[in-house]
Amino acid sequence: MTGVVVGNTLRTSWKQILYWGLGLGALGLYIDFIASSPDIISGYAELFETMPPALLQAFGASDVALFTTSEGWIVSIFVSEAAIFLSVFAVMAGLNITANDEQSGVMDVILSLPISRAAYMLERWIGYALIGLGIVLLCALITVGGIIGMNIDAPQDVILKSILNLYPAMLLVMTVTCLLATALRRRSVAIGVSAAFVVVSYLFNVIGASASGAIADFMESVSYFSYINGEAFVLGAYNPADSFIVIAATLVGFGLSLRMFVSRDIGI
Amino acid sequence: MMASDSVIEITGLSKTYGSGKNQTLALDRLDLSVLRGEIFGYLGPNGAGKTTTIRLLLDLIRPSAGSASIFGLDIRADSVEIRRRIGFFPAELSLWEGRTGDQIIHYVASVRGDTRSIAKHADELAERLDLDTTKRVRDLSSGNKRKLGLVIGMMHSPELLILDEPTGGLDPLVQQTFHTMMDEYRAKGKTVFLSSHVLSEVQAICDRVGILRDGELKAVESVEKITDVEFHWVDVGFRDAIPAGLQQTLEGMPSITDVSTNGARVRMRMIGDFDPLLRAIGAGYVESLHIEEPTLEDIFLAYYSGDKEN
Repeated sequence: MTGVVVGNTLRTSWKQILYWGLGLGALGLYIDFIASSPDIISGYAELFETMPPALLQAFGASDVALFTTSEGWIVSIFVSEAAIFLSVFAVMAGLNITANDEQSGVMDVILSLPISRAAYMLERWIGYALIGLGIVLLCALITVGGIIGMNIDAPQDVILKSILNLYPAMLLVMTVTCLLATALRRRSVAIGVSAAFVVVSYLFNVIGASASGAIADFMESVSYFSYINGEAFVLGAYNPADSFIVIAATLVGFGLSLRMFVSRDIGI
Repeated sequence: MMASDSVIEITGLSKTYGSGKNQTLALDRLDLSVLRGEIFGYLGPNGAGKTTTIRLLLDLIRPSAGSASIFGLDIRADSVEIRRRIGFFPAELSLWEGRTGDQIIHYVASVRGDTRSIAKHADELAERLDLDTTKRVRDLSSGNKRKLGLVIGMMHSPELLILDEPTGGLDPLVQQTFHTMMDEYRAKGKTVFLSSHVLSEVQAICDRVGILRDGELKAVESVEKITDVEFHWVDVGFRDAIPAGLQQTLEGMPSITDVSTNGARVRMRMIGDFDPLLRAIGAGYVESLHIEEPTLEDIFLAYYSGDKEN
């Protein structure tokens, strides 16, 4: 591994950090702005009180009381919405690792160069993982910067940590898409299945968290959204094991992608 | 010829695609040696298995059976080392559409690990091929894209060039430059494995030719021997009508076969000199005369139907 492919990936795709980071940062600033007005968030809190639990969970909170504090408001709303947007980025990044180049035929040129398939896939994965990290860092800095700039009474470290905790889930979605694209070979099918993975995960989290019983617990446990859990940082109940599970699933998924990519025919 | 003179050594290489009823045999137990310093033409109609062979050699696809080595290195176990020493031009060239030629050259040179000297040679090649490398790929014509592909394949002066139908879409002047480049490669003792379905190209630059058909290697011969088929297709157009008795006269000539007529036109297959034919058609007013070189398929059929001896 020489890092040439990582460098090239960053050189050609660094603008995505700006586009996505600034876009999500703007969302963060908007949510900060609402949080800067206690009257507005108390109005929203009254509205949320009338909602059923499933709908409340869709906004990223299990308890309506979270919406009455600035940090609870920012974390619940921003993290749940940013998780969805970052999932879209992650699906696109997962396709960019190898699938797009393979479908277009560029992979034939790449793999005629002295670089192993494994090294190429690993370097591409690292490149997009770094771009994703840039996006998460930029939007976190803008959102926290908004809290400081608007003099919002909210613990900045809690908000920063809850936003950074989006990163492992983003890597997981990127890796699952990469795995699906490697296994299914057809980009359009991989996009469809990856999108279904994101949507079903979201629904499982919403339904699982608002219901009780073994099935609901199972649905929640298999949804990556449940491991993002921004409110745990506000409530001081963050469990590092949640992040480790997501990271472990990511590593297993990437290992499978690598194994498949190395052993199969290219571009058939 | 000693085995140590072989750059490419292929033994019993087979490739099937699909499974069950959809299984297709693309390459059937191929045995082939390509020698150091030669330009080897790999000739066959579309779908014969030429690209499959090349993709197997590059380890892009995996063989169903058999093995192959390049520079004495196994194509699977040592593929990275092999690819360090070869240059490749794919038949269906795809490049990064949004990037300039210079950016692509720089990237490929970086992966090859020697940016400065490779880029310098790339500039020389681009100049010879009259290619503007500052343009984005999406702004290049298909011919210029192929020139860029050739530059990428040749810019590190590889010991072995594997070219899959390289000159399609290039204008005749550039094709001539390409042929000169191939001659220079040979003069430096380097090896070229060139797949093509264009007979004239193979005739112009190759030393030996392998003919592939339906996944089977039918022959490996010197280019002189395999293209030594002295027949042409001749199409004669008369202004008014075909002169009376001409068809019978032509059919009676030993050097002419496959005579067919269409209105005022006569088409035939002719072996040997043109003089007897010109005398025979002299009775009519000849409006047009087309002489076609035999196609690859004609040569193939002639070579294997025994006509060659005729």
